[in-house]
Amino acid sequence: MTDAVAHTPKSKSELAIIITGVARDPLGLIGLVIVGAIVFSAVFAAWIVPYDPIAMNIPDRMQGPSGAHWLGTDQLGRDTFSRVIMGGQVALKVALPAIFGAMAIGLTLGMIAGYGPKWLDNFLMLLFDTIRSFPTVMFALAVVALIGPSLQTVVFVVMATSIPTYGRVARTQTLTLRNSEFILAERAMGASITRILGVHMLPNIIGVLAVLAAMDIPTVIALEAGLSFLGLGVKPPTPSWGALLKDGYALIRQTPWLVVGGGLPIVIATLGFTFLGESLRDVVDPKLRKNR
Amino acid sequence: MSPILEVKDLQTSYGHVNVLAGVSFSVEQGETYAMVGESGSGKTTVIRAIAGLAPAQAGSVKFDGQEIRGLSERAFRPLRKDIAMMFQDPTGSLSPRLTIRNLITEPYKIQGMKDRDLDAEAKRLLELVNLPAHFADRYPYQLSGGQARRVGVARALALEPKLILADEPTAGLDVSVQGELLNLLNDLRERLGLSMVIITHNLNVVRHVADRMGILYLGRLVEEGTTEAIFDAPRHPYTNCLLSANPEPDPDARLERIALKGEPPSLIKRPSGCEFRDRCPVASDICTQVPKFEVTGNHAVRCLTPLHL
Amino acid sequence: MTEKLLEIDNLSVDYETARGDLKALRNITFDVNKREIVGIVGESGCGKSTLISAILRLIAPNTRFRNGEVRFKGEDLLTASERKIRDLRGDDISIVFQDPMQTHNPVISIGQQMVDIQHRSKASKAEKLATAAKMLGAVGIPDPEARLRQFPHEFSGGMRQRIAIAMALMSEPDLLIADEPTTALDATLEVQIIERLKDLQNDFGCAILFISHHLGVIAELCDRVVVMYAGAVVESGTVREIFHHPKHPYTRRLIECDPGHIKERARVLPTIPGEVPDLANLPTGCIFRDRCDQAFERCAEVPPLTRLSEGQNAACWLNHMEEPA
Repeated sequence: MTDAVAHTPKSKSELAIIITGVARDPLGLIGLVIVGAIVFSAVFAAWIVPYDPIAMNIPDRMQGPSGAHWLGTDQLGRDTFSRVIMGGQVALKVALPAIFGAMAIGLTLGMIAGYGPKWLDNFLMLLFDTIRSFPTVMFALAVVALIGPSLQTVVFVVMATSIPTYGRVARTQTLTLRNSEFILAERAMGASITRILGVHMLPNIIGVLAVLAAMDIPTVIALEAGLSFLGLGVKPPTPSWGALLKDGYALIRQTPWLVVGGGLPIVIATLGFTFLGESLRDVVDPKLRKNR
Repeated sequence: MSPILEVKDLQTSYGHVNVLAGVSFSVEQGETYAMVGESGSGKTTVIRAIAGLAPAQAGSVKFDGQEIRGLSERAFRPLRKDIAMMFQDPTGSLSPRLTIRNLITEPYKIQGMKDRDLDAEAKRLLELVNLPAHFADRYPYQLSGGQARRVGVARALALEPKLILADEPTAGLDVSVQGELLNLLNDLRERLGLSMVIITHNLNVVRHVADRMGILYLGRLVEEGTTEAIFDAPRHPYTNCLLSANPEPDPDARLERIALKGEPPSLIKRPSGCEFRDRCPVASDICTQVPKFEVTGNHAVRCLTPLHL
Repeated sequence: MTEKLLEIDNLSVDYETARGDLKALRNITFDVNKREIVGIVGESGCGKSTLISAILRLIAPNTRFRNGEVRFKGEDLLTASERKIRDLRGDDISIVFQDPMQTHNPVISIGQQMVDIQHRSKASKAEKLATAAKMLGAVGIPDPEARLRQFPHEFSGGMRQRIAIAMALMSEPDLLIADEPTTALDATLEVQIIERLKDLQNDFGCAILFISHHLGVIAELCDRVVVMYAGAVVESGTVREIFHHPKHPYTRRLIECDPGHIKERARVLPTIPGEVPDLANLPTGCIFRDRCDQAFERCAEVPPLTRLSEGQNAACWLNHMEEPA
C-alpha cells in the first residue's frame, strides 16, 4: 500500500522535478501534451475558433467536413469544430471549479472527521454516504427544478456529488497520520488543532487529493456532458460536448460528425487526464520511497 | 531546592489494561534521571503521561511545584515552553513537509512569539547542535538518523526549557555516532543547567549520562538509586539480569549471565504477589507476598529477597 | 580440511539511480565454511542488505552485478537458473529477518505456515504438524501443540523471532542467514535467543551467516568475523584476532566506541567523527580515510584486502609499513 505521506510541489524546482518526471514516462508525456492542448484551447478559445460558435448560417447547414469546416456544420449551420473548441472551455469551466470546490470542502470536512471526536466522524460519514447514495441524475433533476438549468447548476451538482470522495480520502489520510510521531511532537509543543491540521496534516494530504483530482477531471467532464445531453446542463446555444452529442444523436443519419465532434473530445480528454494522473501518481510516490 | 519534577503514584490505564501501576520518582534541578525498562514496562507511557500526551487517571505530577496532572490542553500550553520532549524516531518526529528552519522555529510560532528574528534563532540553534547553517533549507528525508536526532535536540532547546523528556535518544543510531549525541547532551546540560528524564532500555547509555536511575517493570519501579550504586551493587534480581545482558565485545570475556526465564507477562493478567517471581532466578516461597518499595538512604528496591544486602 | 560452503569472490554490485551509480558493494571477498558461524559487522550503509539480496538473488530492478561470483557448494548462484535458486531458498539456504513484526503472514495460523514451509516433504499433514511442534519446542515456545493454532499477532516480538528461527531451521538448511535477528528485541530477550541459536547450531550442524552491529553478540556467537564499511570489506579474521588484535583503524575505533567496552563512566565518550561517504560519489583512495585518525599520504591509494596471517585479512596501508623499500 502506498505511503501515507504524499509529496506536493513546494518550490519551483520541485514542480520542475515532477514535470520532468512525468515527461519521461511516455504515457505521461502524451497525457501532458493532450492536457496542455485542451487547456490552451480552452483558455484561448475565443481567439482560435475559426467561426463564432453560436453564429447560425442556415444555407451551410448539415455539411460534412471540408476545408472551410473541419468537422462540418450542424443543423443550424454552426461550425462544429468551433463548437468543439468552445465546448472544451465549457467543460473546464465546469470541471475545474467543481473539482477545486469539492476538494476544498472535502479536505476540510475529511480532516475534521479524521481528527475530531468520534460522534462528529460518524455524523460526517453518514452525510457523505447519504450524498453518495443519491443517483446523480435525480439529484440534478431536483436542483434543476429549484434553480433552473445552467452552467452554475452543473457546477453545483458535480461539486456536491464529488465531495464525499475527497472527504473520505482526506479522512483516511488524517486517521493514518493522526498517531504518527511528528503529530505527537507538535502536540507536545502545544500546537493548536488548527495549526496541526493546517500546517502539518494538510500538506501531507493534498498530494494524494491532487492526484485523485487529476484522475477525476475526465469523470466530471463526462458528467457535465451527460447532464447537458439530458438537457439539465448548459442552456443552448452555449456549446457543450454533451449538447453536441445530444444534437448529433438525433441527426446521426444525416451527419455523423456531430457525434464525432461531441464524443471524440471526451474520449481524448479522458485518456489525456488519466495518463497524466497515473504518471503523476507514479512520480509522486516512489520519490518518497527512494529518498528514505 | 525543591525538585523540578515530582511524580507520585502515577497511574495510567487504557481500558482494563493497567499500564502504569503507581510510579513515583523525583528529579532535582540540573539532574539527569534515567528511567530504564524493557518492552511492556510502561517507560514511554510515563513521559507521555507527564507531558500530558497520554492519560493519567490517578496520581500527582508536580512541575516546579505546580500540579500538572489532568491539566487541560489550554492550561498546559504555557508550560510547554518549560517542558520539551524528544521522540524515539528521529526522522518520524519531524513534520516531513517542513524545512529544518521551520521545524526548529515551530516552538516560537506556537507560543506566539512573532517578534523574534526566526532566521537568527534557527542559525543559533543549528550551531548549538553542531549542524552546518545550510541545513536550515533541507528537509527531514535528506538527513541521516544522527543529523535528524540533532535537529530534534535543537527543537527541544528552542525556548530554553527547564526540563527535557527524551525517549530513547540513541535508538537507531550507529554505535560510532551514539557517543557524539551523548557528548552533546552532556555538554548542553552543563552549559544550560538543564534537567533531563531519559527513557531507555540501553544501560550503557545510562551509565554515561544519568545521575540517578529507576528500573521499571510492568508499570512499577522495582529499584531506584544513583547510577553508580546500581551498577556497582544492584539489589533487584531484574536489575541484575539487565546488567548482565550486555555482552562485552570480547570473545574471551567471562559470561556471568544471569538467565531470565520466559517472557514479560501480559498486562491484562498481572501475576499475583511479586509480579516478577515467575521469571526471577532467585524467587522463593516468600515471593507470593506483595513486596513494598523499601528505601534505604539513596537506594530503594521493591523485593523480598534483594541481593547484596 | 574445512569445506567451503559459501564463497563470495570479488563481488561488486551497483544500484543504478537518477543520481548516478551507487557503488553498494566493491570487491567483497570472504568464505563461510560448513558448520561455521561467520559474523558480518557493519553499520548503516555498509552494504549488508545488498549482500544478502545478492546471495539470495532477491534483488531490486535497478541492481547491476558488475563482477564477482557467489559460489554455494561450488556453484555460482549469480548465473544459476531461476529454478535452481528457488530450490535453494528455504531449503539449503534459509533466512531470518530483522523485524519479527513483519515476518509472518498475519492471516494464516503459525501451524499452517510451518506446514506450508514443508511443501517439499512427502509426509502427511499430521506428521508435518508434529515436526512443527517439535521445532517450536526446540526454540523454547511453551505448549507448542496448542500454539500451532494461533496467529502471529497472538505472540510477542521475542516469540515471533523464535518462530522465525524455527521456520528457518525446519528444512535443516546448510546455511542460515540471520539479518540482525535480535536488533529489534530487548537485551534480555536478545541473549536468550542467542543462547538458543548457539545450541540449535550445534544440534543441526548448519553454518550461520550472522549480520549484526552488536559487537558483544558477535564476539559471543561467531567463529570468524568480517568487518564491512561503506560497501567494502575492511577486515576479516577469527573472532579473537578481530577483537584482540584488530588490524584496521575502523575496527579498532568501533570496538572502542562500543558501550560494552567502556567500563567506567566517561566524561566524554569516544566517537568516530564525520559521516559515511556517499556511495554515489566515492572519495578517492581508502574509503575510511576522511574519518581515520591515522591516515597518511599513502591512503590516497585504495589499499587492497591483504592476507596478513593465516585467515586474517585487512585493507589498510598501516599493515604494510614494514615492507622493504
